[in-house]
Amino acid sequence: MENKIITIKDLKKEFGKNKVLRGIDFALDPGETVVVLGPSGSGKSTFLRCINRMEEPTAGEIYFKDTLITDKNIQKMRQKIGMVFQHFNLIANLNVMDNLIMAPVTLKLMSEEKAEQKAKDLLKHIGLSNKAEAYPASLSGGQKQRIAIIRAMMMDPEVLLFDEPTSALDPEAIGDVLSLIREVDKLGMTIMIVTHEMGFAREIASRIVFIDEGKILEEGTSETFFTHPKTPRVKEFLEKVL
Amino acid sequence: MGDFFNKIIELFTTPQYIEAMLHGFLLTLQIAFFAIIIGLIIGTVVALVDTAKASKWLMLPKLICKVYTTIIRGTPMALQLFIMFFVIFAIKGFPQIIIAILAFGFNSGAYVAEVVRSGIQSVDPGQKEAGLALGLKNITIFRKIIAPQAIKNIIPALGNEIITVIKETAIVSMVGLYDLNMAAKDIGSGQNMASYIVPMFVAALFYLAVVYLITFVIKRVEKRLRKSDLRAV
Repeated sequence: MENKIITIKDLKKEFGKNKVLRGIDFALDPGETVVVLGPSGSGKSTFLRCINRMEEPTAGEIYFKDTLITDKNIQKMRQKIGMVFQHFNLIANLNVMDNLIMAPVTLKLMSEEKAEQKAKDLLKHIGLSNKAEAYPASLSGGQKQRIAIIRAMMMDPEVLLFDEPTSALDPEAIGDVLSLIREVDKLGMTIMIVTHEMGFAREIASRIVFIDEGKILEEGTSETFFTHPKTPRVKEFLEKVL
Repeated sequence: MGDFFNKIIELFTTPQYIEAMLHGFLLTLQIAFFAIIIGLIIGTVVALVDTAKASKWLMLPKLICKVYTTIIRGTPMALQLFIMFFVIFAIKGFPQIIIAILAFGFNSGAYVAEVVRSGIQSVDPGQKEAGLALGLKNITIFRKIIAPQAIKNIIPALGNEIITVIKETAIVSMVGLYDLNMAAKDIGSGQNMASYIVPMFVAALFYLAVVYLITFVIKRVEKRLRKSDLRAV
């Protein structure tokens, strides 16, 4: 477990009788960029959502660094595990600035002035300084998602989870969001992404994890995975999506 | 037609009549006002218990809330009023207005609970997830994210409920309280004007005026709330 950011042991998740995750063992090194691939319904989003307990695992253990994530420490852990959602989930009743500073200020991680300064810098960086006072309803999908990404960055997370960050976007916005993810990646952030963007996955991943029927079927570097898949299932999948 | 206008003038110029009317109106407003306050308090508490995550501690409260809303919504208001007056508060000298307020408050609470519950549940679950993923506590998420958005959903239906309570208070005349409805009947009776049409028409106007005013205020509030979340830069 030493030096791992996330360690997962025999993770299982059932929704009623439906066994979505059937025992996943996984570990994430600092600085890694792991892309989780798999057919729809394979459990890849559920896997990602179990890590910060957006979904309550049915069985198994999840460690953040050396600490077992439990009911008691989950809020503290989540402050260090950022998440970006498919549907952005900007808080509708808060303007962009408040979306960015609310958590760090409420949780007393930063003073209000410091948080505002940081938010302004980040907004400037993504070219949306003029949207600080805007409410989410007035923003486009691409703008919302980029703000959601910098909202996660406001917390200085040690790992960022992206749950299909571009699936609800139009092609132009997808490009903007992917570039921002690339930038975050270049900063050395530890990242896990569930995505259907194969080209992007291949480019950004330091490791690919392929999930099928609730289990990790294959994993390896981006290059090996895409050019020399080991299992027929992955071969078939790649033939269909590439 | 001339007779009708003469009768209206008679009603408004005879101190005994117009005072009775205003007295009745005041009682109607008093009962409605306090009943709505009680209803809001009960309704909010019940809705919070109802929407809270199931746990050992909440099993009994949740059951009580369920029984309460089922009984209140499943029986006639008039019967609930009778039960309050003739069974639960069959105490000599207990102020009747308070019994009426409690009866309407308890009744309204069940409906407010439904309104508040559906308002809370109609907030996109992604909003809560956003708060959770940032490491916020449930109470913070509720106060800063869920509640402000739920209120927006709740206001219109709540306006309806307020209007319903105001009009429904007219049945207190059945247990002998002198509200606006009763005043109209009394003034129209044989010992007084000996004609129902005018006092009842005027009572209707009084009710209408209040309902209209409330509708207007609710619309304004709604509009303001909606503006805030569509505001661009």
